[in-house]
Amino acid sequence: MPLLNVKNLHVDLPVEAGMLHAVRGIDFHVERGEMLCLVGESGCGKSMTSLALMGLLPRKARLSADRLEFDGIDLATLSERRRSDLRGARMAMIFQEPMTALNPAYTLGNQLCEGLIRHRGVSRREARERAIYLLGRVGISAAKERLDQYPHQLSGGLRQRVMIAMALMCEPDLIIADEPTTALDVTIQAQILRLLRELQQEFGTAVIFITHDLGVVARIADRVAVMYAGEVIESAPTPALYAAPGHPYTRGLLSCIPTPGRTLPGSRLQAIPGVVPSLVGDVEGCAFRNRCPQAQPTCERTPPLMALPDDHRARCHYADRPVPAPRQPETMS
Amino acid sequence: MNAHSTTEVADSRLSQAMPAASMSPPASQAPTPALELCGLSKTFTLGGGLFKRGRALGAVSDVSLRIPRGQVMGLVGESGCGKSTLAKMLLGLTTPSAGDVLVDGRPLRGASQKALARRIQPIFQDPYSSLNPRKRIAQIVGLPLRVHGIGTAREQAARVAETLDVVGLPRRAADQFPGQLSGGQRQRVAIARALIMRPDIVICDEPTSALDVSVQAQILNLLLDLKAEFGLTYLFISHDLAVVEHLVDRVAVMYLGRIVEEGTRERIFAAPRHPYTQALLASALTPEPGLGVPDIGLGDAMPDPSDPPAGCAFHPRCPKAEAICRQQRPRLEASGDDGTRVACHLA
Repeated sequence: MPLLNVKNLHVDLPVEAGMLHAVRGIDFHVERGEMLCLVGESGCGKSMTSLALMGLLPRKARLSADRLEFDGIDLATLSERRRSDLRGARMAMIFQEPMTALNPAYTLGNQLCEGLIRHRGVSRREARERAIYLLGRVGISAAKERLDQYPHQLSGGLRQRVMIAMALMCEPDLIIADEPTTALDVTIQAQILRLLRELQQEFGTAVIFITHDLGVVARIADRVAVMYAGEVIESAPTPALYAAPGHPYTRGLLSCIPTPGRTLPGSRLQAIPGVVPSLVGDVEGCAFRNRCPQAQPTCERTPPLMALPDDHRARCHYADRPVPAPRQPETMS
Repeated sequence: MNAHSTTEVADSRLSQAMPAASMSPPASQAPTPALELCGLSKTFTLGGGLFKRGRALGAVSDVSLRIPRGQVMGLVGESGCGKSTLAKMLLGLTTPSAGDVLVDGRPLRGASQKALARRIQPIFQDPYSSLNPRKRIAQIVGLPLRVHGIGTAREQAARVAETLDVVGLPRRAADQFPGQLSGGQRQRVAIARALIMRPDIVICDEPTSALDVSVQAQILNLLLDLKAEFGLTYLFISHDLAVVEHLVDRVAVMYLGRIVEEGTRERIFAAPRHPYTQALLASALTPEPGLGVPDIGLGDAMPDPSDPPAGCAFHPRCPKAEAICRQQRPRLEASGDDGTRVACHLA
């Protein structure tokens, strides 16, 4: 049984213009100890998905799912009290901007120990010992002295290391990391990713890693789910996805980033024309068809999730067969 | 010396040079670079008071660069390394503490903000905060024309429409507000506003960092097209090394306010000589599965810019540092015969 099992998850948000369908019926699962990357551009629903899992959706949001199970526990019907017993203890979250996730008015020691004391009922001294151990494990020197410091006294990279240590305090089964390295410099990003991957494998923690960066995904993910306009449009083990992307959106994403050795410097990049459709109101058919270079009349019908070899799925009518006839390329408006 | 008269002289010089420069084709054979930075420095004072001296923070120290006409110079480095302060000095938004900026060989020192704005224009990172949300796109793009008193209202409107075409925005965008446009469209507006004065030099400060990857490619293509069409010279500031490699002719790598390596794109990306450049390139994660995340070998002893380490500022993080690196600051010197400059004792 997978650790996390999600079937037909919907998240709707009432906005001024109507109902925003932020997440539109997604299925995915996470096995124990694996790193799943949720990848997509802004507004694709990846952050809403993570908030739904953590039970941190905005009050106005409406959630529905055929199945939303964490280790056999139905998250959709869980009381807020039982929910908060899970949060921090068995599911932890690492946010993009550690400065807003850490409380500026409390010392790091306070914030690191709080969860362990609350969930496991250990003494403050034991909690501090574990905090010192974990700060050391995430590569922070003089860990004991750091416990009495405040978040503003640390650089961005160090704060994110503290966030990782904090997430590991109760040895959770699942960590959700929402763009944890996007705000960091590239050298620090490489160091933090390496650390996260090492600790994840050592502690056997499952991680849902949310990012827009296909370079990062290639280097750390066991499996990938690509999201577009509130749907998972493709999922596959990492090597299979990069070797043979099955959805035209995934192919477009991969070909529009400059890649040394593949794109000639100074040449035109293969941009994806147009913009993401509005998710307010109903979306008919394939949500990508207005930007798709191979769209067909068929694409006005909602595409099924096609199964491809190697546990690979893609939501495209033509994922497993050639497109009938080439269409004139559309000019950009 | 009378500061006022100096200003006027420089001002008239620049405006005389303006039409000639914008008419002439991109002349790569011209020996004078479009933009030259000579020993440019900016020092901020932290704290201090009436009777107490503040601490000096060298945000930019002794930067010299030459950008030939029609070329793209990439400027890379970590946040806080001085990239944006450098850009601000070039745009006249902050005064250098020392050194000069030369446009076509003429110093900008003393030139008025208006004269400067005709030659050098910026494109900033965040198209959400750099556009006035209460103005229509036509007003935003046409503002420079009104400030400089160029043309009648009718001519201005025609130039706005033409510029919107050039950057690939639909004509109807002219009557819309920034809030009605997507991120990519807003960045096109920012580019249109920069180009409407027909500048020679555009300072691009992380122009695609706030955009989604699918939109980033559209904007990078546009920047390349505009460069070819108008013979523009770019200073392209970015932390995304794949984008830099794609776009630039030369690269300058900055660390703690100083250039540590500078050379052609081919040379820097194929064989970086400074350990910091090597680490930067190693930490660029290309979409190649199976390679994992490399150990870039850098410590995380992040330096304090107001109290920079003695000797080479990079030595506390450098895996190769030796005794000399802790004592003596390496000079930026030509290394080899390919025009690469490196500031490292061990290179």
